[in-house]
Amino acid sequence: MTANEKLVLALPKGRILKAIMPLLTRAGIQPEDAFFDEDSRQLQFATHDPELDIIRVRSFDTATFLAFGAAHLAVSGSDVLMEFDHPEIYAPVNLDVGHCHLAVAAPADVARSEDPQRWSHLRVATKYPNITRRYFAARGVQAECIKLNGALELAPNLGLCRRIVDLVQTGSTLKANGLVEIDRIAEVSARLAVNRTALKTRPEPVNDLIGRFREAARAA
Amino acid sequence: MSDTLTELGRRALLPAGLRDILPPSAGNEARLIELLVARTVAHGYERVKPPLIEFETSLLEGPGAATSDRVFRLMDPMSQRMMGVRADMTVQVARIASTRLKNAPRPLRLCYSGEVLRTVADQLNPEREMVQVGAELIGSATAEADAEIILVGIETLRSAGVKGLSVDLMVPPLVPAVLAEVVLPSSDLARLRAAIDRKDIAAVEALGGAVAPVLTRLLAATGPKDAALSALAGIDLPDDARAALDRLTHVVDLVAAAEPELAITLDPVENRGFEYHTGIAFSLFARGVRGEMGRGGRYRPNGDPTETATGFTLYMEMVLQALPAPAKREAVYAPYGTPRESTAALRAAGRVTVQGLEPVNDIDAEARRQRCTSVWRDGKVIALGASEDKR
Repeated sequence: MTANEKLVLALPKGRILKAIMPLLTRAGIQPEDAFFDEDSRQLQFATHDPELDIIRVRSFDTATFLAFGAAHLAVSGSDVLMEFDHPEIYAPVNLDVGHCHLAVAAPADVARSEDPQRWSHLRVATKYPNITRRYFAARGVQAECIKLNGALELAPNLGLCRRIVDLVQTGSTLKANGLVEIDRIAEVSARLAVNRTALKTRPEPVNDLIGRFREAARAA
Repeated sequence: MSDTLTELGRRALLPAGLRDILPPSAGNEARLIELLVARTVAHGYERVKPPLIEFETSLLEGPGAATSDRVFRLMDPMSQRMMGVRADMTVQVARIASTRLKNAPRPLRLCYSGEVLRTVADQLNPEREMVQVGAELIGSATAEADAEIILVGIETLRSAGVKGLSVDLMVPPLVPAVLAEVVLPSSDLARLRAAIDRKDIAAVEALGGAVAPVLTRLLAATGPKDAALSALAGIDLPDDARAALDRLTHVVDLVAAAEPELAITLDPVENRGFEYHTGIAFSLFARGVRGEMGRGGRYRPNGDPTETATGFTLYMEMVLQALPAPAKREAVYAPYGTPRESTAALRAAGRVTVQGLEPVNDIDAEARRQRCTSVWRDGKVIALGASEDKR
């Protein structure tokens, strides 16, 4: 297992990708044309910089590619970095895009009628079992997490659980499903993250990219 | 079919993170360990061999505290006390130095190799059983001792054939010394520490209060040594933090003087995973390998306030990744009936011989089947031609 000679930047598919495209341009990173083709089956893309490739992966996988050194840099949501809280990953730049927050939510009647002081064990549906467990453990509550990959807002109404921990952007999805926010766990935004070994063994090119992203974020 | 698979599964399945190491890997690993230990021995480090299991209380003392959540525990039916399987050997060597070798003259140089076991795998390595080779230099607080441990670690890895080495130097006590200057609510302090660990400059600026300017300048001084040292020079620091940085500069100078070609990077704020270190610490990397070859640094052995030590630990699983695949085994097939004494000279010269145990029609084919590269014929070693079968 040896690292690729080229530096690899992992970008998340979906919501954040659109938001960071202007940042990439400002940082002087120009992907090849196939990158913009939504129908392309290609997963790895060249850039104008012969020393830099881009891979497009699922948002949650950016941290995994990065931790194992398969990617050297990644744009990753701070929610994902928090979930995988990995000592091999640094997150030096807040890109200040893709803002939302992580929240605990429950049906309005549950939220009204109960006293959080009395919780000892809860069942919570979430995409973020580690964050959820840590959050409740810090409050002395044993949380049994049900890992779902989407449509979390359905879970309380269908009796799967009474609470969810999920990303909230505008709150309209919660509202549409009769849920209210009980507590805000963390603010979320996109970060530039780097692999520790890559930063230590190839400090010049990695620091150069970090600097370019920092400038690009500042100029926004 | 499915029955045989189940039967094989029942017999072959090992617990997660444990594995059988087969030829030629097991031989490679053993040779590597001996090469590495031999080089530390050549620098005056004497080998010690602590037991695999010892009492939990001694295993978790001093530098061992950091391994607490990784130690397999079992109860000793004899003493009715809790024992632990070592998850790291540094703490054991430190214990030896501060007990049985308490009166041995200082500085004391010890080295070791052995297996360690962990309840949870590293995130990077799925293995729960790993092999460590290490050296400890006990009882010298000098910068020369800090430098020696780094240099011996580098030379040891290089002697085994690792190329493209670099060392990252850290000062784990620096950030705590800077943070001691300010009073922050404990929740903010925890968030600030997390931000520093992740090198999140924006968050450090937001949370750092009065020390934010110092912290951001320290964060910016990460990277190749020359730029990092000049960035560190002008920072206004409390006395003990300044002393720690002066030591770093001194050690960098010593290491660079001895190894002018070595890539040296600095990371003054790194603390994650180095919490028990009380002075200069370091990680050893090789270009192209996705993780540390080894790490080490200065620590206080087993709570003795007057003693100080520094050392390094090398991780065989990572070092092996840095080495080229070794050459295939060269073995001479001695056909059935070859007197053993006639091939003795080959073995004495370090060659491998494989004795045929029964007569065969096609000796060359049998030699290939036994994965030999040549045949003993008419008192000579005859190389086998290119293999005809596709094995």
